[in-house]
Amino acid sequence: MLNRDQVELIQQEIDGANSPEGSAAFRSLLEKDPDAGALAADLRNLTGRFAQVAERAPPPHLKRAILDALPQPARASPPAIVQWAVGRLRLVTERMEEAIMTKKTVLIGSAAVAIVLVAVGLITGFPPGSHEAATIGGVEPAARYHGRVMTEADVSLKNPEIQALFQNDQVLNLVRSDVFREAMQNQAFRELMASDAYHQVMASDAYRQIQANDAFRQVMASDAYRQIMASQAYRQLAATEAFRQLQATEAFRQLEAQGAFRQMQSSEAMRQLEAKAAFHQLQANAAFHQVMASDAFRQVMASDAYHQIMANDAFRQVMANDAFRQVMANDAFRQVMANDAFRQVMASDAYRQVMASDALRQLQSAETFRSLAQSQALSQAFMREAMRAQM
Amino acid sequence: MKETPLAADEQDRALVERCLENDRDAAGALVDRYQQRLFNVALRMLNNVQDAEDVTQTVFLNAFRMLRTYDPRYRFFSWIYRMTVNESLNMLKRRKPTVTLEDDLDILAPGAAPDRAAEAEDRVGRALMGLTPDDRAVVVLKHFVSFSYKEIADVLEVPVRTVKSRLFTARERLRLALGEGVR
Repeated sequence: MLNRDQVELIQQEIDGANSPEGSAAFRSLLEKDPDAGALAADLRNLTGRFAQVAERAPPPHLKRAILDALPQPARASPPAIVQWAVGRLRLVTERMEEAIMTKKTVLIGSAAVAIVLVAVGLITGFPPGSHEAATIGGVEPAARYHGRVMTEADVSLKNPEIQALFQNDQVLNLVRSDVFREAMQNQAFRELMASDAYHQVMASDAYRQIQANDAFRQVMASDAYRQIMASQAYRQLAATEAFRQLQATEAFRQLEAQGAFRQMQSSEAMRQLEAKAAFHQLQANAAFHQVMASDAFRQVMASDAYHQIMANDAFRQVMANDAFRQVMANDAFRQVMANDAFRQVMASDAYRQVMASDALRQLQSAETFRSLAQSQALSQAFMREAMRAQM
Repeated sequence: MKETPLAADEQDRALVERCLENDRDAAGALVDRYQQRLFNVALRMLNNVQDAEDVTQTVFLNAFRMLRTYDPRYRFFSWIYRMTVNESLNMLKRRKPTVTLEDDLDILAPGAAPDRAAEAEDRVGRALMGLTPDDRAVVVLKHFVSFSYKEIADVLEVPVRTVKSRLFTARERLRLALGEGVR
């Protein structure tokens, strides 16, 4: 029976850690004790087993993914006060960055961004409905829009709120622009507006709450948001079949229903999220991998605008908002996002230009315009007036 | 020829200094130097390619973010290997308990070397997963990175005698698992 020191001597010899004296002692032990020889042989065999296992090459995209996720260096030396402010912001957002930097969490973050971005199409009421209010979805408007009961006066072209909007030069510039006209005449837009799913979303309480949310409005008005919306890469990504499939998966839905986006706000919660079965299912999903591997996805992830919006406090508030979560989990909302017409709209140049325009930003910040989204009738009145203004 | 981390200390320090000056080429060079080794450490700790990739990415991003806190009196490789082992241990804790080893190996199989080499890798992988994570870390650093006892002790921040003890315990279990005989 070998004692502890003898075992250590043998192990060190196999590991090449013995001094010359130790090696001499080892050889002497081998001559005296057959158990020592047997142990040494076993350990050598074991070492040989490991030697048979070749080193694996890391995935070829790993280096790029790491470098793309690094913060971009400052392009110029900003004033001291700006540096101080940036430093403070970094402190606040550090934990968020930790949560979004890994590949898996980046996907969740990007999906959240995508959903916010997609939601703007619903919120702003684009494009005009070509139908009459009474025929939409076969449901009485008063039954669908609980917050504000619309009257004939509301939908009149003489409605003072609508008229006030059209006294604004920016609004007029927008609605008279070619891109706005193109968007309004887009067949896909019209199909979307006529869909039941669209109207169900518009009618939901959660939708109404989120559009009244200050943080949501801030996100909609932010430069970073607008830059993402205007980027070619984002539009390509949002239009891909894989992205649509991903959003339609049961696993993705479960994550949303479990408040996954809200949980993103702390790294500890992120770890809990990763332990969820749905998260693992998502990882095994082919669409997930397609999206991750797409150039468009990588470009969006690498963009300054994306990093800005992820670090945006208002954006984080939106992610944590219960009403927002309910909208995301809403079946009708998902149908809209999976709608072919909607995807075409998202991919169109006209839509991108409208979304990137200063005029739209001003329009969105107007209280009257926000009220449009609370009323389909009012929204239609606006669009009719817009069409008239184009003539 | 395999470069030892010890011989590369000076180069590491130079690259770290350049990274601190926002030199992205230096960041790329550090990734080039360490990504394969860190990926393999994570892979052997987790037996799952996807998780190993995520751990490697997380480690680099954390390392770059915390580079200013790195004390150059200590060796860079110890610091970054420690982060890799710790992140792998965190990943193991986060894993769903019902995920089986077979599931992991199914994920591992694509891209693995074919036939006997793949079989050998699978067997070793399974045996490693039968160890406690602490014992596994010692074995991985010893057999897949070829660290000395002292280097392993530095990375894991434990005494050398603990490294030897864990290594022996782990080897006894591995010999049983791999059918190398019983002592």
